[in-house]
Amino acid sequence: MMDSLLLACLFLPMLGILMIALFGNNEKKIAALSFWITHAMGLSILTLLVLWALGGFHAHEYEWFTLYERGDYRFPILFFLDRVGAVYLFAIWVVFSIIVRYCRNYLHRESGYKRFFMTIFSFALGLNMVVLAGSIDMLFAGWEIVGISSFLLIAFYRHRVQPVRNALRTYTIYRFCDIGLLLGAWMGHLLFHESDHFSNLSVLFQDNAPAPASYPALMLMSLLIFIAASGKSAQFPFCFWLPRAMEGPTPSSAIFYGALSVHLGVFLLLRTAPIWSYHTLPRIALFSIGFLTVIIATLAEKTQSNIKGQVAYASITQVGLMFMELAFGLETLVLVHFLGNAFLRCYQLLVSPSIVAHMLRVEGAIDTNPDLKKSSMQSYLPVSIRDTLPEVIQNTLYVFALQEGNLELLVRSVLWTPLKKIGGTINHAKLSLKILIGACLFMPLLLTVKTGVIDSSYLAVPLTLAMILASLSAFSQKHGFTAVWNAVALSSLLAGSAVLFLHPAEWTDIALFTTGIIPSWLLGILVLRKLPKKENFSDSPFAYRAMAETNPGLSLLLFLSFLGLVGFPITPAFIGEDLLLYHASNHQYSWIAALIAICFVINGIAAARVFLRICMGRPSEICEVYQHE
Amino acid sequence: MTTVPPKISLDSYPELHAFDLDSAIDHIAHWLPTQGPIKDFIHHNTLHAVQHYPFHKGVAVAAKVFGARSYLPAADYQALYRQGRIKDFAIDWAIAHSGYAPEKYKELREKLFADSTDHYPPVSLANHGIRNNWLTRLEIDLNSLAHPVLFRLLGSFLDQGISRWTLSKDGESFWDCVWRLAQNSLLPLYPFDDPMVRELLNQSANEVILACLERIVGSELLYEQYLLEMILAHPGWSGMVRLIELDPKALLERRQISLKEMIAVELAAELAILRKKRGVDFAAIADVPHASEIPLLRDYEREAIVPLVLKVWHEAMEYSLHSELLIGLKSQDAPVKAKEPPVAQAFFCIDDRECSIRRYLEEVNPAIETFGAAGFFGIDFFYQGFDDAYPVAQCPNILTPKHLVMESNLRPDLEKNSVTEGFSDLHIKPHSLFRGWLYTQLLGFGYAAKMVWDVFRPSSQLLKIKKLSEVDAHTHLHLLRESDELTEDGRLLGFSFTEMADKIEALLRNIGLTQNFAPLVVVVAHGSSSTNNPHFAAYDCGACAGKPGAPNARAFAWMANEQSVREILRERGIDIPPTSHFIAALHNTSRDEITYYDKHLFVNYPSEPLQIFQETMQQALQKNAFERCRWFELAPQSNAHDEAHEHVMARASSIFEPRPEYNHSNNLYCIVGRRTLTRDLFMDRRAFLHSYRPESDPEGQLIVKILSAIIPVCGGINLEYLFSRVDNSVYGAGTKLPHNVIGLLGVANGVEGDLRTGLPMQMIEVHEPARLLIVIEQTTALLDKAFQLMGPALKEWLDNDWVRLVACHPDTRELFFYHCTGWEPVELPVDAVAPSASHSESIFTGRHATIPVHLLRRHA
Repeated sequence: MMDSLLLACLFLPMLGILMIALFGNNEKKIAALSFWITHAMGLSILTLLVLWALGGFHAHEYEWFTLYERGDYRFPILFFLDRVGAVYLFAIWVVFSIIVRYCRNYLHRESGYKRFFMTIFSFALGLNMVVLAGSIDMLFAGWEIVGISSFLLIAFYRHRVQPVRNALRTYTIYRFCDIGLLLGAWMGHLLFHESDHFSNLSVLFQDNAPAPASYPALMLMSLLIFIAASGKSAQFPFCFWLPRAMEGPTPSSAIFYGALSVHLGVFLLLRTAPIWSYHTLPRIALFSIGFLTVIIATLAEKTQSNIKGQVAYASITQVGLMFMELAFGLETLVLVHFLGNAFLRCYQLLVSPSIVAHMLRVEGAIDTNPDLKKSSMQSYLPVSIRDTLPEVIQNTLYVFALQEGNLELLVRSVLWTPLKKIGGTINHAKLSLKILIGACLFMPLLLTVKTGVIDSSYLAVPLTLAMILASLSAFSQKHGFTAVWNAVALSSLLAGSAVLFLHPAEWTDIALFTTGIIPSWLLGILVLRKLPKKENFSDSPFAYRAMAETNPGLSLLLFLSFLGLVGFPITPAFIGEDLLLYHASNHQYSWIAALIAICFVINGIAAARVFLRICMGRPSEICEVYQHE
Repeated sequence: MTTVPPKISLDSYPELHAFDLDSAIDHIAHWLPTQGPIKDFIHHNTLHAVQHYPFHKGVAVAAKVFGARSYLPAADYQALYRQGRIKDFAIDWAIAHSGYAPEKYKELREKLFADSTDHYPPVSLANHGIRNNWLTRLEIDLNSLAHPVLFRLLGSFLDQGISRWTLSKDGESFWDCVWRLAQNSLLPLYPFDDPMVRELLNQSANEVILACLERIVGSELLYEQYLLEMILAHPGWSGMVRLIELDPKALLERRQISLKEMIAVELAAELAILRKKRGVDFAAIADVPHASEIPLLRDYEREAIVPLVLKVWHEAMEYSLHSELLIGLKSQDAPVKAKEPPVAQAFFCIDDRECSIRRYLEEVNPAIETFGAAGFFGIDFFYQGFDDAYPVAQCPNILTPKHLVMESNLRPDLEKNSVTEGFSDLHIKPHSLFRGWLYTQLLGFGYAAKMVWDVFRPSSQLLKIKKLSEVDAHTHLHLLRESDELTEDGRLLGFSFTEMADKIEALLRNIGLTQNFAPLVVVVAHGSSSTNNPHFAAYDCGACAGKPGAPNARAFAWMANEQSVREILRERGIDIPPTSHFIAALHNTSRDEITYYDKHLFVNYPSEPLQIFQETMQQALQKNAFERCRWFELAPQSNAHDEAHEHVMARASSIFEPRPEYNHSNNLYCIVGRRTLTRDLFMDRRAFLHSYRPESDPEGQLIVKILSAIIPVCGGINLEYLFSRVDNSVYGAGTKLPHNVIGLLGVANGVEGDLRTGLPMQMIEVHEPARLLIVIEQTTALLDKAFQLMGPALKEWLDNDWVRLVACHPDTRELFFYHCTGWEPVELPVDAVAPSASHSESIFTGRHATIPVHLLRRHA
């Protein structure tokens, strides 16, 4: 019974997406469908929770079937429900039912009604998957779905440049943090083998048991988890994306960035607590992340002159506190805190448009009337500490707060600018030069391998290098969209062949990976070919071409191709990606796995950028050529 | 509040002369929107910058500059034709007035019905001028780098109360403030930390602008063009800065800022970013090859082409819609002389939303007579309510009132509840870090309950923010001036009896009510309540500068009841009998409720008319709510009036309802004349109605006075709706759903977007964008005489066709169209007769689109 309810929690939102896609041809139908699906989902969540409670609150695990199995690699479809999951599930039920009801009227007559409800259901699907996942692989699949639906909802108002830009910004951070989770999953396989199920973790790390892994390995794994959690929860140093993500309709901002999505990092930490809490050092690291976040976000909140930004920073501050609480192991407190924060921020965002009326009619009286100001609290208290500081310190504090701790510049200059620079150099180099260098690197190695001096697996090294170069080239390519698509595909295939040289026997797994990548790539190339020849991309690399409006069919195909290329769980490439990492790490060159993960992430960003440039934007005379092609 | 924008004309372009910064800024500033802070919403012509052109030419110029649509897509007009809303005779009329050669009429007509692909707006100057071309070559998305810096500084500097820390210090200008942050801080202010730019900032704003322009543009000929493109890349903020510069009083917390300072900061930021990203020797605009081929503003003005097919369609649509009223006026029966004196008279605002409530009042009880006047009822003053933090102007923004009126409490036991220390507001109060931590832990669940309650039981109003239109009326207005001493702001506290008499007399003469007063005269103001709506001011009374008109109605009633005032009026020939009493009321247009003021005085009034009026009003409100519900797709589909009424009340108090009402949507007509002209017409809530007795205005002075109020107010409303509807993303504010309130100044998309001006999509989506038709019941000869008295700014509206005008002869009801060249007799098809019905409900039941004017044959 519980097992089928677990499945229902996933299948109902999926059914919702499908039904709306197929039958949602008018607002009324979409509203009715989403009403029934939401309540069916709510009912199954509630029943599930009640049954679980009646069963004595024991953690419950359910393995549905094994999706893929080869050698000692297994990818089971595994579910897990415990106290943490139950609390999150409860929050999902409350917030989701409210938001769906709210949006029924709020989005009335909005042109993207169908799009909105489909995305919000895919968000629910992703959330449920994350919360009910039994292993880190399953969790990663849900994580990706949440990421993409987040991306789509930020860019919901695709006519304007700014939402599209901010969608990319958020996606970039999400992608980057996926490195943490991808590598975390890989390390999980590596360290715990079969036992990377969440149900086993606590057993593994029991006090009297020997440490399941070495100190540095655990430390590294904890750090990877922290990266993933900080990114999703907008913690140091990634705080800046959250306020900028408030571009979609207000209720979608409320459910994503007020209530649920922003707390997924906390969820990940709760799930993996045995791993990172085993040693003290990771705990200190986690505390520091939370502490830095709290300081920066509280200050940044003070100078937000817009209401949603203010709520966003207030929320980040509270999540920072949750991180600190977690570092002390106060799990129950964190769960209470999470619920409180989620509901409060959700409400605050929903009523944020009221701020004008509120300030003018209620607060206005104390804020603007000088007589009242003196008689209020301020006359008893000394002027705020800030006012007594010397001016230069005041200014410094203000500049710090205004620039939100300069985190965005920091992240940009540390992460992206170097990559762009290298990629730019590659793109500027002539093709012949590239081939020449490639040949110089590859040929001697090939010869030595042929002569049998060294093992063929050495060939993986230049291939990995070429993969990185291809990824970087895609990342900084500005002029040709097709070139980006080709470079991304090339990079993926190079990754595949590098692993092939490491483990020639595993060719079937690599073939599985390519069966996801190649069709997606071909599909993308086909779509890009359909674009008008007249358009010279290098003439206006920054223009958005609004294909979603002028040619929705093609735009959908490009979207699917994009999903396939980035290894979204709709093609075998998703498992393939996992397999590649698994095999790569089972070799003495296990660092290749890390490089592959990084390249996947960079590829994702590059492909997302092309997708946005082509499909988003407001049609104007320039776009007219598209329609008649 | 805002001055009439001076004209932009081709010959005054200064390119040929040496570049002069101040005049260049004055020139380009005319292209900016003039929408003030969101707390008061003043409707105005969105395209005031091109108002000196004839309508179609102006629209075409603006379309090129802003990259906007000029008209609806052709398919929309064709659909209207198929629905029968655009008539063949109107197409003929539009073609004949298109200036096309007569032998080509047939060809043109065929073009109208050609299959049209969707028309896309032209590319805008700001996005495709010299600046963008140059940035494309440099491969840098400068806007995305410089705008967040600028918007953040502007937002923090101008903030009116959202930010916890205030950036600006007393009397500090924007430029000084940025200087302070850039030069006197231990942390660098990005991007002004570039050494050269940092050095540059020590100079004056003027010098910085010139130095930056020299480096960035390189050719003086293009300076002004560059500045224009730069500020049009974010018209919202530029316009707000300009407006505050010209009228610092628009802000409650005054700020010292000018467009020049904003430009200086932006240019310095651009220069710094370019130096950081593209090295110190990046190419200037003048160095870019083919730069001269890119069209400049003057080319746009010269070459703007009016899309002929769409223009003809648009004119045909307007003529069709206008003729519906004209046919109605013509096919009316001769007015019946009133048989008996009225039981009650009611004054309403000219607002189009009051058009239907007046119809219902008269329909339910024919013994009630109604009048229309601008909703400030001729009394202009600053008003500070009992709970208010500051006084607000209660009059159209073209007037600057000299008087201040304060409200005081009748019941001294009631504390002034200015600070609400309740749990209900905790989510808005600033939270310090640790208090926030405690609150979220403790109260989070409470908010879950609150959310559930608000979302599933919307009418229960937990989110309680009382607006002026809902405030209880147990207070007293200090209207009589006790001393002639001026207040701090140089205002007179209250009115003298003579001033009161002046105001009352002026209004009564305007609307032509100088005798036959009923025992009860109700002055009905209007306001609108809505929840979770930053644009709430746009829903209130336009003639009170976006505020509910209750204080004006109360002032009017008090003054007209005052014996001393009545005596002065009697000397001037207006004899209000002692048996007549005035009372004030407020019609809440979203909830369809009425509040009567100063109820404690009711005991002195004749009880019978009062009771009759109140009962009639109640029925009328229910019918009105029912009629409004036909526009709401999610309203109950039954025919029960009380269900409809409940629905509109829930609408106004739901946090998830972006459309508390459709306010001025579909406004189309403005009729200045006796009520007999319109009393038997069903005008589908589309008409502004102003009372006017043609025979009492032999010199035309009254009509000039009336027009000088209704042209900017009603014309402004009409054109703002029109342009916001035609291109909602350029002229309008886009959809409300993602709006984020910025500094209590306005709304933007996201946290670092440009301020959005114009009306949000949820206000205009059902609007039929047609220009206002003003019908005046007066002879053409007298109107000609009156127009001589009119100022050029007002005349421009008429002569350039930004509003259409028809004179209706008071006796013969002959109709004449006004053109700047003269009067053209209106020739309607001979067989055109307005449809008729016996009562309103039979007309609109089951219909969803706009409805042509019907005749109401109530007694037939």
